[in-house]
Amino acid sequence: MRRSRSWRAVLATPVFAVIAILYAFPLYWLLATSLKSKAELYQTTLTLFPEAPTLQPYVSVLVERGFWVLLRNSVVVCGLSVLVALVLGLLITYPITRLEVSPRVRVGILNWALSLRFLPPIAIVVPYFAVVRTLGLYDQPQALIFIYSLFNLPFTIWMLKGFLSEIPREIEEAAFTDGASRWTAFRLVLLPLAWPGLFAAAVIVFTFTWSEFLFALILTSTPNAQTFPVGVQGLVTQFEVIWNDMAAAGTIALALPLVLMILARRYVVAGLTFGVVREK
Amino acid sequence: MANVTARPALSRVGAGRFTRQERLAYTMLAPVFGTILVIVTYPFLLAVVQSVQDAAGREFVGASNYANALANPLLYEALGATGTYAALVMPTEIVLGLGLALLVHRVVRSTGVRALLFVLATIPLVLPPIAVGVIARLIYAPGYGVLNHLLIVTGIVRDEINWLGQPTTAMPAVASVDIWQWTPFVYLVLFSGLLTVPREEIEAAQVDGASGWQQFWHIELNYLRPLVLLIVFFRLADVLRVFDHVFVLTGGGPGNTTQLLSLYLYRIEFKYFDSGQAAALAVMVLVAVSIAYSLVTRALPVERR
Repeated sequence: MRRSRSWRAVLATPVFAVIAILYAFPLYWLLATSLKSKAELYQTTLTLFPEAPTLQPYVSVLVERGFWVLLRNSVVVCGLSVLVALVLGLLITYPITRLEVSPRVRVGILNWALSLRFLPPIAIVVPYFAVVRTLGLYDQPQALIFIYSLFNLPFTIWMLKGFLSEIPREIEEAAFTDGASRWTAFRLVLLPLAWPGLFAAAVIVFTFTWSEFLFALILTSTPNAQTFPVGVQGLVTQFEVIWNDMAAAGTIALALPLVLMILARRYVVAGLTFGVVREK
Repeated sequence: MANVTARPALSRVGAGRFTRQERLAYTMLAPVFGTILVIVTYPFLLAVVQSVQDAAGREFVGASNYANALANPLLYEALGATGTYAALVMPTEIVLGLGLALLVHRVVRSTGVRALLFVLATIPLVLPPIAVGVIARLIYAPGYGVLNHLLIVTGIVRDEINWLGQPTTAMPAVASVDIWQWTPFVYLVLFSGLLTVPREEIEAAQVDGASGWQQFWHIELNYLRPLVLLIVFFRLADVLRVFDHVFVLTGGGPGNTTQLLSLYLYRIEFKYFDSGQAAALAVMVLVAVSIAYSLVTRALPVERR
């Protein structure tokens, strides 16, 4: 028994080492490239370590190329989308978890939300493109906020449903017997208890909207509403690729989700699997 | 006659059946849900309308957009590319993710290390596909791509390989990005599945002298099967939405080798400006996905209570 375990451990070590390299190196390479100067890029031999690390590419991307505007757009669009998705999500999940509704309504809503997860966005973007143009919302942040909050609603509903149904109803009922109205009980009793769940849902929805590219590519055309991923894409597909600028933009794009993920790490997988997988 | 007199009585019974709580619930749900339903349904109806009109949206053209869409040989190339992509990505991710989950579950005993691996495995899942595309570009691109550099330095190849520019390597290169980003997802789901296997069953099997393989095949797999199903469904849905990293890596090329269905639809609508044909394609995709969804939904192991 013990023998077979040590044998496995010996086998496992190189496997883990290879995996670690496969994941760490690409991320390192992105960061290393983003710290190189233009001169270093045009050397004949590739350098694996930046010889004279510089933050110049970040300045170039954010200031000279004006990407700070796209960054601001991203933050505004994502923040408001999160807010709208959470409010709508609560308006839907509160009744189905805290009030006596027929199980059919409850199951129907949850199934419907789940089904939205399977719709390919590209098939939806075609008619939405027409709608957005007719409404005069083309190249406006409102169009993105509207669509992002809608398409993150399935995740939001399932996550909030999970968190809300774990809070015992008796706690609220105790508040009712003390004479609290439903709204007061919601605000002063339920909301504080549900806060960690709401926060986790907010972080995850923010991360998803932050990453979204297809809708932003199609529904925006100028820095008025373009989000950061659209800018990154512009650097990749332009005629002559400036590697360090592209890498700096890529680093910025993935830095924020990375930081946020640390805050909500316990809920990411639960969110992605509609609550099937819970961390033990 | 009997029906007519019965109706008002029925509706009164219906109204009285709602308790105060139910009424509150429905006044909250109705406006939100009604609006959302309109917002989701209207574009679909619009797509149906667009799909039977010409590109300018003026004339009714019947089913000709559908006929054009189905007659376009590029559609079948796109479907083929999507199939190839799925065939490369899904088995690899499931096999690697499963292998890794089993390995960690059997070798790593420390809860601290397990928790650390959990956090590390979550990282790729939250990275924007565009940023991952940038990384892949820095690895595979001609000129600056580090993979060629490493292969030449170590003497494995003599000349640069144009990974993204030739049909035989472009698809595997694009698929590798997906595998890199999503194998950790499979690992996380299956590892958490392994944690649900009752220890007594494993111990009983070991007392009976079961090998590690038998232990997996006869016990653990039973607990993992619904999760594998979940992974297959979710990943299949994702393959249909793959767009970002392919768009920045190859743009569908070389030729049409990596032009997946989503990139193809994008091209029809936004490069050829054939909104009629694009709408017809969108309607067909939506209908196909809805049918597929209604067939598999019952098998999904999600808790719908």
